[in-house]
Amino acid sequence: MPKTNYFKRKQEEYRALDSLDRRRFWTNGLLNNALYILMAAFIIFTAIVNKNFLGPSSIVNIITLAAVSLPMALGIGGCIVLTGTDLSAGRVFGLAAGMTAAFLQNRAASKLIFAKLPATTGGWIIVVMLMVMLAGAVIGLVNGFFVAKFSLHPFIVTLATQLITYGIILMFFQINGNGGGPISNVAKEFKNVVSGPAFKIEAWNVSIPWYVLFAVVLVVIMWFVWNKTRFGKNMFAVGSNTEAARVSGVNVFLTTMLVHTLAGALYGFSGFVEAARLGSVTAATGLNNECDAIAACVIGGVSFVGGTGNIGGIVLGVFVLRIIFVALNMLGINPNLQYIIKGAIILAACSLDMRKYLVRK
Amino acid sequence: MKKKILAMILVVAMVLSLGVVAYAEPAPETKVAVFWYAFSDAYLSTVRAALDADLEAAGIAYQDFDGNNNMGTQLEQVQTAVTNGFTVLVVNLVTSGSSDAAQQIIEAANGLPVIFFNRAVEGDGEEHTVLDANPNIAFIGTDAPEAGHMQGKMIGDFLVANYDAVDLNKDGQISYAMFMGDAANVEAIYRTQYGVEDANAVLTANGKPELVYFDANNSDKYQLDPNGAWSNAAAFDFMSVNLAGYSEANGNMIELVIANNDDMALGSIAALQSAGYNLGDGSSTKIPVFGVDATQPAQDAIAEDTMTGTVKQDAQGMADAICSTVYAVAEGTAIADAVATVAESADIFSIAEGFTNKLFVAYAPFTGAAE
Repeated sequence: MPKTNYFKRKQEEYRALDSLDRRRFWTNGLLNNALYILMAAFIIFTAIVNKNFLGPSSIVNIITLAAVSLPMALGIGGCIVLTGTDLSAGRVFGLAAGMTAAFLQNRAASKLIFAKLPATTGGWIIVVMLMVMLAGAVIGLVNGFFVAKFSLHPFIVTLATQLITYGIILMFFQINGNGGGPISNVAKEFKNVVSGPAFKIEAWNVSIPWYVLFAVVLVVIMWFVWNKTRFGKNMFAVGSNTEAARVSGVNVFLTTMLVHTLAGALYGFSGFVEAARLGSVTAATGLNNECDAIAACVIGGVSFVGGTGNIGGIVLGVFVLRIIFVALNMLGINPNLQYIIKGAIILAACSLDMRKYLVRK
Repeated sequence: MKKKILAMILVVAMVLSLGVVAYAEPAPETKVAVFWYAFSDAYLSTVRAALDADLEAAGIAYQDFDGNNNMGTQLEQVQTAVTNGFTVLVVNLVTSGSSDAAQQIIEAANGLPVIFFNRAVEGDGEEHTVLDANPNIAFIGTDAPEAGHMQGKMIGDFLVANYDAVDLNKDGQISYAMFMGDAANVEAIYRTQYGVEDANAVLTANGKPELVYFDANNSDKYQLDPNGAWSNAAAFDFMSVNLAGYSEANGNMIELVIANNDDMALGSIAALQSAGYNLGDGSSTKIPVFGVDATQPAQDAIAEDTMTGTVKQDAQGMADAICSTVYAVAEGTAIADAVATVAESADIFSIAEGFTNKLFVAYAPFTGAAE
């Protein structure tokens, strides 16, 4: 049993330490795991104050909410590994949601954006999904191209594409006399297979929507891409040290482009899910959504230093943010204060996390 | 890494053990969740203050939620509140003008009574699709076109009385600017339309030419807050740019400003003031500016003679109507009966024609003269 050996060895190591080292062992251990300890304390506190918080329907709710924000965080995580960021994510998400709603409107609706479209069959739904992912990928490709080709910081490149995408969204929402109004009347068939229940847990009277399963599949795929493919290894190489990666024969240009393109496709997918979830999309949909995704990644240990992070961390970060969201509401904290507390938690979580890297250096 | 895994296992174990021990059916008591589309909205903040006070006085437990102008966030808040055992939901919908958004909230509410307010739940041409189809809901708001009609008539009357003073370049026509709060909101759409149309009706009835939009190249004939936030800042930015190109010196000054709400009216006044207009000191030229809502800052601006008129949306009346309905519903009254009782209680309330669960709170013109 390697596990018991590990603990036995650790125990022996600990016995060999003198008192000063022992104290250091505990303080380091506490600080390095402070995020988990604080979250555990926060969860316990909330559960004591409000027993609904850990009720079955609430836990399912937290999982569902996490599944909503996972795809975008998985995409943006790659950009952060490259020491970059992506400010265009929210708008790409909005464009994808708008396109999805327009392409998958109930054909019997009175106000149609596109008059002549195929009926809402399974095949057409998949085509639309691929279309909006492609649209996202194209914007991601533009981001990646300018970052890689001109060595521009992704902050400014994606700031620019954020504006450009918003312009496209505004134009899209004016198609066919829609005049900037919401695009609604999304087809039932489409909602059923995305936001409809995949299965129901009878004992708790709660159902799990399909997009939770999609998110699980995406996590598995992204874990494979990050850990088991040459592309994933190249991404980390470029993120830790671009020059070293270039010298060792990594195609930095292609890797950067691909990371952003993949991210764009994932934003497209999140928008696709959002259209089903909300049933109606406005031009403002997606505004600032990238902020939560970036925060989730950084809380989960994907560092802006570059080259560090893993998929498990991103999933954890997304859950931490969602637990905070639900817990603050369940504690009945005034919404004005909620923003302050959420900000403080993000700041504290990231500082504690950064400390690990500073110590290592 | 190992340490991380260990920590995670510990957390999960703690969470699960707590979940098993702590979970129990919550006691049935009234807990009201109030969902606001955005805490930053000036008019709705006055409604919020009034409603908080009303609910407190009535002894009803409540909690406010800030949707931050994001429909996704609001839906998530509703889902969370339902799992948290709230018994009545009061919703100020983010995506107004789409029945689907309201329908999604009702589905998330899972049978709990939902009282929508202020922002319309049914789009133009979709009347009855939500309010008639769901038994346990009501809408408390305003008759969407009414504010636009009232604002338009007020502007028309004002212009007829002061035509020559307003017509700065003496070309016999009044050129105007229009600020729209949100392209997707039916109230905004009606205000943008009737604010001008009804003013024109009064003008033509008195033998005056119709209003002319100041920028002949803008076929929309309005400037829109790109974030749909009805914001002061958006109007300020537009008006500042407008005033750079349109001035008395060029003989093409904007002679009238119509805004969808008071926040945008005040934004354009701030821009006018930077250009030396509407200083309220008697010496500067005053461009008439009209808004809607009669928020406190707008009432102050009218008193200081920097703004001309607004339409009073009764924040206290709205809050009272919501609170009374919530109270009745909590006591077990059917939601339509609760609404009917509120409609009887004061002159400013009325039931919308053809509905049983749609309560209107009346608007009133406000130019500072009466109060």
